[in-house]
Amino acid sequence: MSELLQAVWGGILSGSVYGLMAIGLTLIWGAVRLLNLAHGALYVVGAYAAWTAINLVGFSLVVAIPVAVVAAGALGFLLHTVVIRPMLGRPGWDSASIIATVGVAIALQAATLLVFGPRVKQIPAVVSGSAVVASVRISYQGLVIVAVAVIALAALYFYLRSSRQGMAIRAVSQHMDAAALMGVPVERTYALVMVISAGLAGLAGVLLSSLLFLSPTSGFTPMIIALLVTIFGGLGSVKGTIVAAYLIGLLESSVQVYLGGALALPVLFLFIIVVLIVRPNGLFGVAEAQRL
Amino acid sequence: MILEVEGLEAGYGAATVLHNIDLSMAEGEGVVVLGPNGHGKTTLLRAISAVTKPTSGTLRFAGEDVTGWRPDQIATAGLVHIPQGDALFPEMTVEDNLLMGAFVKPAWMSRQHRLERVYELLPTLKDRRRQLANSLSGGERRMLAIGRGLMAEAKLLMIDEPSLGLAPLLIEQIYDQIRAIKKSGLAILLADENADHVEGLADRVILLETGLFVREGPAETLLADEALLAAYLG
Repeated sequence: MSELLQAVWGGILSGSVYGLMAIGLTLIWGAVRLLNLAHGALYVVGAYAAWTAINLVGFSLVVAIPVAVVAAGALGFLLHTVVIRPMLGRPGWDSASIIATVGVAIALQAATLLVFGPRVKQIPAVVSGSAVVASVRISYQGLVIVAVAVIALAALYFYLRSSRQGMAIRAVSQHMDAAALMGVPVERTYALVMVISAGLAGLAGVLLSSLLFLSPTSGFTPMIIALLVTIFGGLGSVKGTIVAAYLIGLLESSVQVYLGGALALPVLFLFIIVVLIVRPNGLFGVAEAQRL
Repeated sequence: MILEVEGLEAGYGAATVLHNIDLSMAEGEGVVVLGPNGHGKTTLLRAISAVTKPTSGTLRFAGEDVTGWRPDQIATAGLVHIPQGDALFPEMTVEDNLLMGAFVKPAWMSRQHRLERVYELLPTLKDRRRQLANSLSGGERRMLAIGRGLMAEAKLLMIDEPSLGLAPLLIEQIYDQIRAIKKSGLAILLADENADHVEGLADRVILLETGLFVREGPAETLLADEALLAAYLG
């Protein structure tokens, strides 16, 4: 029983962070039709920006969190302006854009290595300590992470559902030409999506790096799991992505509790392979996933 | 003049569909472009709203030179294009689709008021407001596309074949709505395959064949000339 509760809490915790990571991938896929493999690098940049703000400037983590979001968001804007926008509408977009984002990821990784060195770092917790609830040890920092992630996801959900810009993002995802006919500036909407998505990756970076160690390559695993989540949820579906994030988090943490941490990633991959065979379009996906 | 098109040419790839088109429209005027399928009506509207980039020609709208503008800039200026095939946002509700029609800032500020007006004009949409657009019937989709166009602060409304694929009763309803819009003083440029429903809506009629304006004249004269219409439209 206590093992089960431990697994559930672990699932909620990592599911929240995977949700932040995956929703960005899904948004970019939905609107821009781009598989952004620089997403993990944005996670790392956000985390290092927060680390710098805390250790070199002397900010508290509460201030460092927005710093991480803004730094990653700004980098997302740069990524759009310098790399993505010149490639839009060119022949070979599908493969060229993926390769370009891999290139950006490698460059950013190398840059972080040069600036911060190879030694792992850690981001301090907002609150230390923990409580034991029903025989499960729950760290206060874990609660803060879940709360921040859930608030961010809920805010994003309502932003997409009922704000003027958020609706425009959905419109561009579902019918780009029609959105333009409504007066929506399509390329500016792409940039907006890149900034939001990058900011969320940065947020995931700073939150998770207060639990795990931070190194120039530590964005890779979260990005791979976020990719699994988006595929599982049905690429382009916001609701599907959030549900899938928690299910994947739960699966991962159950494997960790019952079978040991080393098996977590292999089991996740095996699971996603089965999903792709049984439901090729994911949990909530439609054939040509055009939903946001 | 609300719209002045000069020497417009447009096409797809190497194929030129429109040849040297000149078209001027006065404010509040109703112009109907008639022509058989595949002769360039849709391309004409798409070239004016810049969804299909014209290869040459100049475009003035509401006193401004809008040549080379992007579709969203032209829409923001008040030129509203209701395309063929509706182009709805399939996974958005009817109401969200309508709200997108009011995306441009001044219209967005008064979106509730506009929504009420469109619901009054097209009450079916009010009954369906919470439904996703992809669950609508063909007639309802057409209504939604027209309603969405009416949400904007339009100075000129371009409608591409409003009757395409609809039941006769619905066709009558939709043209009645368009006539009402025209009466309210909005300039309308409508593309159609036949002249059956355009009376009272067209001040001027243009016949388009193989990408050229072949005849042009006041609606009374042209619509009365049945032999001419039969020759061009079959």
